[in-house]
Amino acid sequence: MPSDLTSLVHWILFLPLGAAAFSALFLRRAGGFAAWFSTAAAFGIAGLSLCVLAQGADVRWHVELAKFGGVSLGFGYLLDAQARLMLFVVSFVAAWIHLFSVGYMQEDAARGRFFAGLSVFMFSILGIVVADNLLMTFVFWELVGFSSYMLIAHHFDKDFAAAASKKAFITNRVGDLGFILGIALCLSLYGTLDFAALKDHPAAKAIPVAVGALLMCGFLGKSAQFPLHVWLTDAMAGPTPVSALIHAATMVAAGVYFMARVSFLLAPEVLQFIAVSGAGMAALAGLCALAQTDIKKSLAYSTLAHLGIMGCALGLGHPELALMHMAMHAFFKATLFLGAGSVIHGCHHEQDMLRMGGLLKKMPLTAATFVAATLSNCAVPFLAGWYSKDAILEAAWHGGHGALFAFLSLAALATCLYSGRMLRLVFLGEANSEEAERAHESPWTMTLPLVVLGLVYSVAGGFLASTLLPAGSLQPIKPALDALGFHLAAPSTVVGLLSLVLGFLGALKFYGSVRGADALRVVSPRTYHLLEHRWMDGLYRWYLDAVQRRVAELVAFLDLLLINGVAGRWVGGGVPAVLGYLTGRSFHRGQARAYALWIVIGSLFLAWFLIAR
Amino acid sequence: MENTGLAHHLLLAGLLFVLGLTGVLVRRNLLVVYMCLELMLAAATLALVAFSRFNRTMDGAVLVFFVITVAAAEVAVGLALIVALFRQRGTVRSDALTTLRD
Amino acid sequence: MPDGLFIFFAALSLGAALLLVLSRNAVTSAMGMILALVGVAADFFLLDAYFLGVLQVLVYAGAVMVLFLFIIMLLDTEDPKGAYPWKTAALGLAVFFLLAASVLWLFHWSGAVPAVKAGATPAELSTNPAEFVTAAKAFGRLLYSKYLLPLEIAGFLLLVALIGVVSLSKANPESQA
Repeated sequence: MPSDLTSLVHWILFLPLGAAAFSALFLRRAGGFAAWFSTAAAFGIAGLSLCVLAQGADVRWHVELAKFGGVSLGFGYLLDAQARLMLFVVSFVAAWIHLFSVGYMQEDAARGRFFAGLSVFMFSILGIVVADNLLMTFVFWELVGFSSYMLIAHHFDKDFAAAASKKAFITNRVGDLGFILGIALCLSLYGTLDFAALKDHPAAKAIPVAVGALLMCGFLGKSAQFPLHVWLTDAMAGPTPVSALIHAATMVAAGVYFMARVSFLLAPEVLQFIAVSGAGMAALAGLCALAQTDIKKSLAYSTLAHLGIMGCALGLGHPELALMHMAMHAFFKATLFLGAGSVIHGCHHEQDMLRMGGLLKKMPLTAATFVAATLSNCAVPFLAGWYSKDAILEAAWHGGHGALFAFLSLAALATCLYSGRMLRLVFLGEANSEEAERAHESPWTMTLPLVVLGLVYSVAGGFLASTLLPAGSLQPIKPALDALGFHLAAPSTVVGLLSLVLGFLGALKFYGSVRGADALRVVSPRTYHLLEHRWMDGLYRWYLDAVQRRVAELVAFLDLLLINGVAGRWVGGGVPAVLGYLTGRSFHRGQARAYALWIVIGSLFLAWFLIAR
Repeated sequence: MENTGLAHHLLLAGLLFVLGLTGVLVRRNLLVVYMCLELMLAAATLALVAFSRFNRTMDGAVLVFFVITVAAAEVAVGLALIVALFRQRGTVRSDALTTLRD
Repeated sequence: MPDGLFIFFAALSLGAALLLVLSRNAVTSAMGMILALVGVAADFFLLDAYFLGVLQVLVYAGAVMVLFLFIIMLLDTEDPKGAYPWKTAALGLAVFFLLAASVLWLFHWSGAVPAVKAGATPAELSTNPAEFVTAAKAFGRLLYSKYLLPLEIAGFLLLVALIGVVSLSKANPESQA
């Protein structure tokens, strides 16, 4: 019944908020209890989401909060097919990551704060998922940014963590400036912010470019697209569960989800930009992943690449494909990050891949899930990743976008390359350090999520896709997939298999050739340096130093001169100084009579002023 | 009674007020200063009654009622303060009480 | 030309006030004050505000001034010695004339005071509660309807003043910080 569903959604949205409040108020010290409490809440949400999904019906609910001269601002839910898919992904992945965190954060003294932060994040992301209007999306968008800021800087006493969280937040804000301008433009053009109303708006046939372009800015920031992608790799400074949940599976996907929601507001030029920058980013980031020695940073570049692929799908006009890839990506990327977390934990917080090695024997369960997720990442046929990624490649080919297809193919090759590299360096070969020697398998709280997410979902993606198809907006995909000629002889499959063979196996061989150091760096240091991708940060730094600082200094100088100097010292200081000199001594003798005299003189003057003039 | 106009009554009130004001400015004995303040208040009530009578309304008279009440309360508290001050300083001369000087 | 009674009582008030301002002895000043207040009360009577006149004599000239006298005698200020300070008195009178001139100008020559007539003697009671009447009952009618809130607040004020005075006078000179 719709009303039952609505109350289920209320529970889904506000349960994490309640958990967060409770944790923040009462459980700061009781870290262990907070951990299990938060995890229980997360599983509760997942269960409730399954109930909502099982019904298979839309949920619409709205309450008006304020009304300004014909413009109504409200809070409500729009749970259509897209939202249900996202809800499933978010709640499911988050629940298992919560469980993982229980084990991972065991020695951390500030666990209570961490889990409260996770609950706040859950509230925020679920708000974006269920939101039915632009303003509500924006509010929760900012909340998500805040949770990310708080969680990245969990170890706030470390300088680089604090700096990274600031970088993430500020970069997001730059994007959000465009976002809110877009919202304002939407409001002024169409008079409403409601998704359903906008979709059916008569003027929706000819959308100005500006609307889509501005709304896209939010997407650029949140989903780390070019040019606002610089924060994602630094965000790896946060604890691994945070990286898994926020920066792989959900928050960065929120941008893609939002774009899919408002796809009817995006003009063709905007779509073109997204497609091109997405494909370019996919290729570039995939290659850059080869130059990272930190396992999490490598995975971060991998995420960037996949986000680029999702962007490309959006730009090609297939938001459903983007969403599908987002769902698949969430599962295998979360597994990869959790696996990395398990490895890091097992090697006692060693994150440098060059100092790992030979972990296949020491951490078999982790290794198995990691391999499964990697294969899904590389789009091995019939695994989860294959369905979505190849569908996108097909869409590019059939749309006649040769350049995009080329970039995406390059991205596919790069994916296999870095995946092979990662497997070789981490799991195969000999242990390269003390920590790797002494590595051990992680506790069940960490391996169970790995098994569930990795083996079950990455592998059983095909099954998943077919079960999701009737429940989601993927309904239109099936005929589209068939129309694209989704069979083994398709160009995308050719590319895929080629990448697998050349890239994956080649990388496995190549990176095993040098021990203890990165083979590419040894063979070609210049390529390696190029791929390290420090130039983007350098570009921003140059801009800040050369341009922005000069402008700020000029403004500060003017402020000092005009406001402090003229208005402050001369006028504000001068008048009392002059008056004080004239009346100085006699004013402050301490005699009440003198004060009374001045009062009388003043009031006489006032009386004259009021009566006689 | 018909010959005294509003201006006459107001003039009397004004002169009494000014006399009180002079006393406040000139006298140094705190108690006399306080009495002059009360004289100013009384002059104001006189003006109020005059206006009330000449405008044929009761509101001024009721206000005078309240003024008298408040003045009584104020005098009580003020005198208690002066007594306390005398206990501290031993004097009620205003030129001896100059602690607020610069 | 104002009436004789008015002139008489006006002169009384002003003379007594001059005594208040100019005399050196605090008790003499208090006597002058009482006389001035009686003069003002008389003027109230001339303005047909009988209730207020009586109130003025009872409360102001009666209770308040008696309180003043008590305090003057309590504080036992010594008699000022030496000759009368004529110079200061002259200065004071000069100030007075200056201010008085301003007042005269304000009330007479500036034309700010409207030339209304006193009109007929007001009735004792009237159906219109806002009209100026001479009965005390009119005060009751207004105080308990239109001015109920100020009445209650005035009650509070008296209570507060009472408490304040008691607490102020309780402190011992030795125990004061």
